[in-house]
Amino acid sequence: MRQHDLPERYASANGHTCHPVPDTHLNPTMDQFMTNPTSSPALTAQGSIPSDLAAQAASSATDPCDLAEAVMPDLVFGDLNQADEDWVRGHTITCNYCANVLHSLEHVCSALDECADDVCENAAARRPSATLCLGIPEARYGFMKSPVGDVLVAASDQGVVEISYLNHNGRHESLRELEQRGYLVYERQDRVRPVVDQLQEYFAHQRQTFDLPFDLGGITDFTRSVLERTVHIPYGKVQTYGEVASAIGKPKASRAVGNALGRNPVPVIIPCHRVILSSGAMGWYTGGPEIKRALLGIEGVSYAARESAAQASLGIEG
Amino acid sequence: MDAGWDRVSEGNRFVSDLSLPLEPASRGAPIPTSSDTATPVSDPDHCLFTSMIERFGDEIYRFACQLTGNGADADDLYQETLLKAFRAYAKLPTDANHRAWLYRICSNTFISDRRKHGRVSPMNDVMAATLSDHAPDQARALDARDLLRDVERFVDALPPKQRVALVLRKHHEYGYADIADVLNSSEAAARANVHEALTKLRGAFSHRMEV
Repeated sequence: MRQHDLPERYASANGHTCHPVPDTHLNPTMDQFMTNPTSSPALTAQGSIPSDLAAQAASSATDPCDLAEAVMPDLVFGDLNQADEDWVRGHTITCNYCANVLHSLEHVCSALDECADDVCENAAARRPSATLCLGIPEARYGFMKSPVGDVLVAASDQGVVEISYLNHNGRHESLRELEQRGYLVYERQDRVRPVVDQLQEYFAHQRQTFDLPFDLGGITDFTRSVLERTVHIPYGKVQTYGEVASAIGKPKASRAVGNALGRNPVPVIIPCHRVILSSGAMGWYTGGPEIKRALLGIEGVSYAARESAAQASLGIEG
Repeated sequence: MDAGWDRVSEGNRFVSDLSLPLEPASRGAPIPTSSDTATPVSDPDHCLFTSMIERFGDEIYRFACQLTGNGADADDLYQETLLKAFRAYAKLPTDANHRAWLYRICSNTFISDRRKHGRVSPMNDVMAATLSDHAPDQARALDARDLLRDVERFVDALPPKQRVALVLRKHHEYGYADIADVLNSSEAAARANVHEALTKLRGAFSHRMEV
């Protein structure tokens, strides 16, 4: 059967002396391949790499050439154990046919290597960037220290995309959230320098308004409308959730306003800390109540000021 | 000759283009975990998509080049792989083996693209062309570039699963268990795919290799 493997001229020219295995020796699982003369016994679905080849070859039922040919690819990939490799190499010394098979296989493998080298030339330089592949914006992030703990800052080409209090949100959660908003996230401290500078000035009481665009990509329309309203609350002033709800034309939505502010991706720059409960209590904050208190403290908003603001808002609504 | 081997491949569950290797529970294949990899995860932001691409992008791109055999198709395959990966990434457990996962997406995309768009020249035609175009005496005159081009053409006509298996074993040091994992097949079928591809190549080109 091996004679069918190669063109007739090749098989006859190589001085091959081994005899084909009689069909009676083929086990039943091989039969399906025997209908096809070009299938090799190596390809029976035994799967695992054969071993103990010398012992198998010693059994009179097995043609050593079948064994050798079946494991040639395993030999060139280095998958055989030492004893089996030695046996196959020893066999190819005595058998021209198998020597030629091995030789051809090695040539095919080096041709494959060359093809791979060709097609991979400069692959690292040619590889398209993830930004190009995905067609989505990049967000570059960096870190800063602040009176309210470590802060992660991220910006896209459009503006600030994320300010995250790391004592409250983990760095990974913040960054993965950014990915889920549809940004490719890279660490680039130098790209967030302007944001860091202005935030430092704010914390040092040297800045009351921010000269920074923000980028609310991946934020729902309702949340966006709440945030775009909140950004107009001036430094040192507070409004209630109800007032913000009224301002966006949904006076009954103060709870939803609270939820939307909780999703503010750029606190401080969008001052959601300036929105309080109608009782005058601070209410919830994305970085925790201590930070809200600290920020209002920086801006000089006392408890009394909050209370009177709340009273005023009730008066207006009343 | 292909029929028998296609049966072997088809016997295994075919991973469709749309079902990413994300929902392996339904197909019984576990998501590989990072304990499978030798490289420890040192990057603190290894859970980020961009970090994953920085780590594995180059080898996945080379994989795409080797599968497609040309730069333009490689770019398309790589881009499609990244798009699918990005969409599914949020749901991937952080301890998953991201490398194996990317290889699987890339392989599945390649295989299903080939099944959808097919190949103009079936194996037998390519084989016939390779064998008849150049009689043995002419073969000596052909330079190495022609041979490589023909080998590339022949590899391009291999059944996609065989090509994936061959490239993984030959150029990415994948063992058969790992290839089986990528192809969602048995280890036996993985080895059979590699052996079959090599045997075909040897049969087609042995007369043109300097002996």
